[in-house]
Amino acid sequence: MPPRIPQIVALGGGGFSMERDGSLLDDYVLSLVDAPRPRVCFLPTASGDADHYVVRFYRRFSPGCEASHVSLFRRDQGTGGVEADLAAHLLSQDLIYVGGGNMVSMLGAWRAHGLDSILRRAWRRGIVMCGPSAGSLCWFEQALSAFHGAPRPVRGLGLLPYSNCVHYDAEPARREEYQRAVAEGMSAGFAVEDGVGLHFRGTRLERTVSSRPDGRAFLVERRGARVREGSLAVDYLGAAGRPAGPARRGRASAGSGDSRRRAAPEKRVAA
Amino acid sequence: MSAPAGPAPPAEPVAPEQRTIFAMGGGGFTMEPSNPLLDDFVLSLARAREPRILFLPTASGDTTPQINAFKARFQGRTCVPDHLSLFRLRETRRPLADLIAEQDILYVGGGSMRNLLAIWRAHGIDKLLIEAWERGSVLAGLSAGAMCWFEWGLTRSSGPPEPLEGLGLLAGSLTVHADGEPERLPVWLSHLREGTMPAGWALDDGVGLLFAGRALERVVTSRPGTEALRVDAIAGELVRRRTQPELLGSRASDPLGGYDEAVEELRRVNRLRRGTGRRRR
Repeated sequence: MPPRIPQIVALGGGGFSMERDGSLLDDYVLSLVDAPRPRVCFLPTASGDADHYVVRFYRRFSPGCEASHVSLFRRDQGTGGVEADLAAHLLSQDLIYVGGGNMVSMLGAWRAHGLDSILRRAWRRGIVMCGPSAGSLCWFEQALSAFHGAPRPVRGLGLLPYSNCVHYDAEPARREEYQRAVAEGMSAGFAVEDGVGLHFRGTRLERTVSSRPDGRAFLVERRGARVREGSLAVDYLGAAGRPAGPARRGRASAGSGDSRRRAAPEKRVAA
Repeated sequence: MSAPAGPAPPAEPVAPEQRTIFAMGGGGFTMEPSNPLLDDFVLSLARAREPRILFLPTASGDTTPQINAFKARFQGRTCVPDHLSLFRLRETRRPLADLIAEQDILYVGGGSMRNLLAIWRAHGIDKLLIEAWERGSVLAGLSAGAMCWFEWGLTRSSGPPEPLEGLGLLAGSLTVHADGEPERLPVWLSHLREGTMPAGWALDDGVGLLFAGRALERVVTSRPGTEALRVDAIAGELVRRRTQPELLGSRASDPLGGYDEAVEELRRVNRLRRGTGRRRR
């Protein structure tokens, strides 16, 4: 097998678990996999292996893929999906899909079962990694976790040498909190709205895609004493994957009565 | 009746013999929905008249059925029940340290012991629970929630039974579900024989060990016919000692009609023993 470049698609929120018609982002992730019937393994750890989440995963992926899941909570009951050699199973996948939930709990459980090092190896081998929310934050060096109490920086697996903030549009305070964290020394990184995915090849941001016409993402970095928020060019996936032109964006914004500041998509980040 | 919100318990550590752990091999509200004997015994261990009891379903991944079973069991009883889900922390507004510090009883559910400890450590809960124990809060739990307090437990967190280090508040090892999951016992005994696990207890479902500090104080059960097995390795030989637990509620002729009385008596005894001198009503 020729060497494959490591790839991660970090979703700010979205995909099968969060969007009613969540096929656009999932389809994009699957398009990166070169296999007629991709092997896709779901890790619902961050939800505590919630049954409903596992069911929705299979509903979405089993029609076109060899779908499986690993439950780190049900291994004693023989209902943990994959039971045998976790490493061998995960390293034979085309795509590893990490579900949302609590990142701190997830990383704790992963480390206890050695999944952190297995996932690192899987990524290096070119198995595509993706996930929304906690399934995005975990790949980065640092993440802004707003899961409990005041948002605070927490360490992720560090495959991507940046910070990450998801659900950037979900709460008005989120933007301010992330920028303050970066101002106070958190590494520069990416703020992503629901429905938007960051596609990394290696550690370089290759493309930013969205399942929503008005989805946005930003590079947030320190510039001297100030923090700069630069808009990323976002490709709307709704029209056969063509990059979203300003006209369509304008229409979408006007239609939804969106009065948020809309930065021009001027900046393509080479990370 | 006074409101549930009140001052936090004193932050001073209590004497070692006043530190309480109740470790169950199985049983309680998750496994015995129609038998409240163990759970009422847990409530009786608290010093407070209306104890605050916090359920930690971490080992199960915070499953809704466990949380609902907890509510069903404790909401109608003389206590202030609450639960802490580390996977849905958004529901918990308050700092975890405050929430845990004010509890009279911390009740840990069953599931994956490996995940339980790893997730506690990731959130710093292990330290908070040890502090709570040192301040006199009751630590209770079944299965993974019982083994976690010992130096070692025998977990099936990864499938086959294997030793896993616990928090070490109690000496020795514990294996659970001795009757319900008989495949555990031979693995545990072979580890004891090889010295890869320290001596300890194997508990049937329904059996609970009550510790005052590190000393075993009582062995109780919610089910007739169950036992606690103590095994020590002496000069390479395993020495087994079977203990007949006292059947909770058995002092009354009618077990259902009588257990309230028995629990009341236990509570009185506890209050006297702990020297709080407080009386009901």
